[in-house]
Amino acid sequence: MSPRLGETCQRLEIEDAWIVDPGSTREGRGSLLVEGGRIGEVRWARRRATRATPDLLVLPGMVDIHAHLRQPGNEDAETIASGLAAAAHGGFTTVCAMANTDPPLDHAASLRDVQRLAGEAPTPVRMLAYATISEGRAGTVLARLGELSDAGAVGFSDDGAPVDDGTLLRSALAYAGALDRPVMEHPELRTLTQGAEANEGLPATILGLQGWPRSAESTAVARALGLLDEAVRAAPPGDRPRLHLAHVSTAEALDLIRIARQAGLPVTCEVTPHHLALHDGWLGGDRRWAWDAAADPWAGAAAEAAPYDPATRVNPPLRAPTDALALWSGLADGTIQAIATDHAPHRAVDKHVEYGQAATGISGLETALAVALEGVAAGLADLATVVRALTLGPAAVIDPPERATASHELVPGLVTGAVADLVVVDRRAAWTVDADSLVSRGKNTPLLGRSLPARVLLTVAQGRFAYLDPDLA
Amino acid sequence: MSWGPHLLDVADLTPRELGTVLDLAEEMRGVLDARGRRTSLQGRTVTTLFYEASTRTRVSFETAARRLGADVASVSATASSVTKGESLLDTVRTLEALGANLLVMRHARSGAPYLAATVFGGHVVNAGDGRHAHPSQALLDLFTLRQHLPGRSLDGRKVVIVGDILHSRVARSNIWSLTACGVDLWLCGPATLLRGFDAWARALPADRRLTVTSDLASALREADAVMALRLQQERMSAGLLPALAEYSARYGLTAARLALARPGVLVLHPGPMNEGVEIAPDVAAGPASLVTAQVANGVAVRMAVLELLAGSPAAGTPA
Repeated sequence: MSPRLGETCQRLEIEDAWIVDPGSTREGRGSLLVEGGRIGEVRWARRRATRATPDLLVLPGMVDIHAHLRQPGNEDAETIASGLAAAAHGGFTTVCAMANTDPPLDHAASLRDVQRLAGEAPTPVRMLAYATISEGRAGTVLARLGELSDAGAVGFSDDGAPVDDGTLLRSALAYAGALDRPVMEHPELRTLTQGAEANEGLPATILGLQGWPRSAESTAVARALGLLDEAVRAAPPGDRPRLHLAHVSTAEALDLIRIARQAGLPVTCEVTPHHLALHDGWLGGDRRWAWDAAADPWAGAAAEAAPYDPATRVNPPLRAPTDALALWSGLADGTIQAIATDHAPHRAVDKHVEYGQAATGISGLETALAVALEGVAAGLADLATVVRALTLGPAAVIDPPERATASHELVPGLVTGAVADLVVVDRRAAWTVDADSLVSRGKNTPLLGRSLPARVLLTVAQGRFAYLDPDLA
Repeated sequence: MSWGPHLLDVADLTPRELGTVLDLAEEMRGVLDARGRRTSLQGRTVTTLFYEASTRTRVSFETAARRLGADVASVSATASSVTKGESLLDTVRTLEALGANLLVMRHARSGAPYLAATVFGGHVVNAGDGRHAHPSQALLDLFTLRQHLPGRSLDGRKVVIVGDILHSRVARSNIWSLTACGVDLWLCGPATLLRGFDAWARALPADRRLTVTSDLASALREADAVMALRLQQERMSAGLLPALAEYSARYGLTAARLALARPGVLVLHPGPMNEGVEIAPDVAAGPASLVTAQVANGVAVRMAVLELLAGSPAAGTPA
């Protein structure tokens, strides 16, 4: 008898798996029992070096703090229900929906509408939602941050676009600091990106695409850090201004964030799976992972795929292979707290157009884990670091550990008695990314047609079945 | 690769494949000089789809197609349903349904012909896409240089392209074709219009020679041929350049500057020219100028391109 989605996971035994639990910082071989929607028992195996590591991987349910679910306004690209189903297929049990819907989530009523839709969706995957920083996401007047916070906004962001007005961003940081909510800024200096099509670098030069300078990100990051510094200094006692920087893509921006964190500024940041694994050579048809291309960028001229695949168009653009390596270092040294998908589903008609006119964004919820594990397999980070960046790291961005209320709810951990919130992955089972295998309505990923290792077999969210591999069902 | 099914970029062509088209263009030159015709494209339809205004390229392709016996259809962006918001892919599918066998396409966006090639079952000819490529122009430049250089050899010759390199599809295509033929190629212009090209030069394999400089005098010294590029007014408003007059004063191709080059230096321009801006009128019309030869050779080269593509297996209906 196969369990139905949404049903409580009454009894489930996972024998001989590799279990990673960043909450208890334990990782190792073991077996796990789920009973009545809770972790019944975790049995860690005694060390036996002679046996190969099991292919089965058990992780806490993952948290994505950056996803565009498109509802309301663009339901042909994605709905809350389809996005959450895609999340479950990707191993995520919590998704933070971005506020750039149409209309944007700039009033408590619209926030409550999406929360209701998430509640009505058949999946047990949790959805939290950001609200906008500004009314109408227009960047001129602050949205009612207090009211939005009371209505459950997890943070504030005009993502998709930066807050160009420095005064407004500074005010948002100060005001949200009183509400103990983070401000998530999309760092882009738009006077440098007018008409920009691709990372300013060799592939763009050769392909004749207008360059998107790296300085468009680093200058915006520097500005935001300066504003945060002032907001922190000027904050009344008890207020906690916090800045989160979305989709950091360049080594230079990362260096600035590293320095700011060392100086004690309350700044966090995220990286997307595509900026970790892909690079601007993909625009020319190179299909090597960034770490393979970094050693020999010019070999990309021997392209495997046709150039100008609009699926590679994304904001910020795919950067150089060396940037990807810098981002992996940032994950390893703790400068980056979260891997966030920036899941950006689009309709085919908005993507299958001239490169520079294609909508920006990659559908990423379902490939994030496999791509991150490719990096682990290549030795760029250890498994525990990547799992932390997909679970506790992002949970702490929206809710810092010193408060740690929601963190426990979002990532209950793989400990006896905790609510079962986990994902089971077969590290050796390959699957092909294609229009049929992707649950999301957005099929826009440059990984289309590629075989990826690491197949999600099962996702349990809040003690209930969220995803079950068709072969197991 | 061998010729066909499409001609999207000269970067894909080996020196041997370049030789194939130049040799056939030579033959076409003879046909044109004898006021003759060929029948290789009889019963085929060549459709020109131009999303950007152009006189010489379009007329050149259409003349070439007629000389090969093809039927010619013309679609321009302003006169078609394109202005009603029809997508490029729909337009291409429609043109194929209307009988197009070869699609000659000009588009303001880099890469647009690659998109067309994903659905078009015949042959796509890139007649210029954004800043990316202008393959037939590069081929006619190669043909014209070979025709006029002593010994008909490009190997080791110093060729200089002066002007707005950044926005130029002609420059990009010429980088591939000229360096493949052993030319010592120099790119020259204001630093703002050279952005990224020095990195390209450094990334090229050692057997290709490419030098990038903002110093016109060093570029012109001992040059065998110089090509001036059109400078567009938009570059000033985009904050890339000061006044047009300043550009002209510092980078305009004048007789005095040409004296730095080898005696008998050849002068080229892909047109249309802004006389008095990037090139002085006396240079444009002077004895060293190959501008009209370029235009005349363009027809022969495009006849060769169309015939080679038409004789190659078509893309067929893509999966």
